[in-house]
Amino acid sequence: MRSHVAAAHHVALQRHHQRQHATHAVRRPVKRFLGLPLGVAIALVWANTLPEPYFRLAQTLAFGVNEIGMALFVGLLMQEIVEATMAGGALHSWRRWTLPLIAAAGGIAGSAGMYLAYIYGRYEAILSTGWPIGCAIDVAAAYYVLKAIMPRSGILPFVLLLGIATDLFGMLIVAVWRPAAAAPGGGAALLLVALGLAGAMRTLKVRAFWPYLSICGPLSWLAFFRDGLHPAFALVPIVPFLPHEPRKLDLLADPPDDDAVHHFEHEWNTLVQVVLFLFGLVNGGVILKGYDTGTWALMLAALVGRPAGILAAIGLAVAAGWHLPRRIGWRQLVVAAYAASTGLTFALFFASGILYTGPMLAQLTIGALATAVGPLLAIGIARLAGVGRFSRAS
Amino acid sequence: MLSAGGFAPAAQNSALQGPVPSTGQGLPVRSDSLKFAVIGDTGNGDKTEYDVGQQMAAARAKFPFDMVLMLGDNMYGRQEPQDFATKFERPYAALLQAGVLFYASLGNHDNQSNRFYKGFNMGGERYFSYVKKNVRFFVLDTNVLDPQQRTWLDEALGRAREDWKICYFHHPLYSDAGRHGSDVSLRVALEPLLVKHGVNVVFSGHDHIYERIKPQKGIAYFVAGSGGELRRGDTHPSGLTAAYFDQDNAFMLVEVAGDELFFQAVARSGTTVDSGTIRRQDSQTRATQ
Repeated sequence: MRSHVAAAHHVALQRHHQRQHATHAVRRPVKRFLGLPLGVAIALVWANTLPEPYFRLAQTLAFGVNEIGMALFVGLLMQEIVEATMAGGALHSWRRWTLPLIAAAGGIAGSAGMYLAYIYGRYEAILSTGWPIGCAIDVAAAYYVLKAIMPRSGILPFVLLLGIATDLFGMLIVAVWRPAAAAPGGGAALLLVALGLAGAMRTLKVRAFWPYLSICGPLSWLAFFRDGLHPAFALVPIVPFLPHEPRKLDLLADPPDDDAVHHFEHEWNTLVQVVLFLFGLVNGGVILKGYDTGTWALMLAALVGRPAGILAAIGLAVAAGWHLPRRIGWRQLVVAAYAASTGLTFALFFASGILYTGPMLAQLTIGALATAVGPLLAIGIARLAGVGRFSRAS
Repeated sequence: MLSAGGFAPAAQNSALQGPVPSTGQGLPVRSDSLKFAVIGDTGNGDKTEYDVGQQMAAARAKFPFDMVLMLGDNMYGRQEPQDFATKFERPYAALLQAGVLFYASLGNHDNQSNRFYKGFNMGGERYFSYVKKNVRFFVLDTNVLDPQQRTWLDEALGRAREDWKICYFHHPLYSDAGRHGSDVSLRVALEPLLVKHGVNVVFSGHDHIYERIKPQKGIAYFVAGSGGELRRGDTHPSGLTAAYFDQDNAFMLVEVAGDELFFQAVARSGTTVDSGTIRRQDSQTRATQ
């Protein structure tokens, strides 16, 4: 009798854990990444039904959201990268970076090459400035789709590193991409003050984030703005001064709220979700018949050029003696390359940083949104190739 | 007799009732007036472009214009030196030989470096302004509407003291064409400046049709993007449409005489498909309306 009760209790406990795991699996991406798609969905409906009020609001909010609010997004991303790559962090081992870096270089070359080939083939050279947008990888989309297909595979950190390296490259370009900006200058002195204050706070062992973000952040923002750099990157030099705790889980896995640092990160993330919602609302609205050459170029770059470039680069690296991650074969890599073909968040961010209001921005925005089919392609290929959850052996 | 926007309602030869051409009323051809032609989306080097060029030359015999506004996409496809000959110099050879000056704006198919081509008279600038008689023209690059260009436009319009302010650029703020249509994001960015400074007329291309829009906030808008390319039957008339023609290529002839601007849209066949008059209103009059 007792053994029956114990068995029933065990089964109930198991079901509870399964339910909890499933709830976590859904809640985590929803909590961290629903803001942007929700904003985009509202913007798309609004722009295609009442375009004039939509664009009036979007253009009014654009500066505040894209140049001020997004500093919080980029700052949080940098904080997570710093923690994941510091000693004890999930992505600490630099040996793990080599092959993803090669893959990232291949992906960038593949997407940029495909984009520019299409643009020049169609004789619309004016669109050539948009090539970095075609390189963007939505790291979160890639992570969650791969986690759904291959939950505990070594492909997850591989794709995270690939995505981070690619987006850091793109962000570097966006940060300095302001050829026409009238920069008044004088930013260097302000940045020195900001860094000095951040250093002093660190010496005084200030553990809360907000003094760094609210005092040093605005000074750094002003410094970036005055020197013609994209001010959304203003927190990047401040982030290394923030208190850190190593992130033992992968970058996008939510750390436990078990210390002051991770607690602040949770709060920061909540704020970033609001910013991402507004970012989607301001930048995702586009009149759908505005598609044109740039749309096709961006889709080809992300969905054809990048996977081809990633796989070709890995192929060359393997031929040169590099080893694939353990238990990862070419079928898994093809699925991973397609999971990384979505540009969404970062593509919109790059587009807003590089292009101005008008038809070019519209057609590339549509292209960026259309790359959201990448995860579906990854799932389809995984299904066809019997990868991960679709493995014929299981 | 004038409508609120200062746009004469009597577009006597409108094609609005259907894309059937009618014969033109002609232009006054006054001796002291400013006369010019308008073409858009021309540079394909096809027979259609050459036909329009010939028709423009024929029109000039009766209406001696000495300048042409180009609304962008002045060159399609390859843009090597020999293409400037086949896609610009030969189609308009008669006009060029007669000393007619072309003033271009850039479209999405134009290489940005085309602004240095002497025949386009852009002075190496993406956006610029010039004066002819009592008219100041503002040429914009709507491919890249950066903050510097908007600031420049605001200041240049504010400084302008000429009777007429005419803007032209490639992408239409208002259009009833099915393929592209109105660029609302550009409209929201540009229209407040045009209204604030009392711009009278705006010409655009991009959509390969001819369309006259009902005056919007006191400004007359034209789409004239069928100077070489044509998207037959692409117009979907709406409440905005005053007149349209999308059955053949077309160009415009315009005459500014004192406070009146006369326009005529002419098909490749030489038939007039739309015409009318716009009476200038100063910004004070507009503000009280």
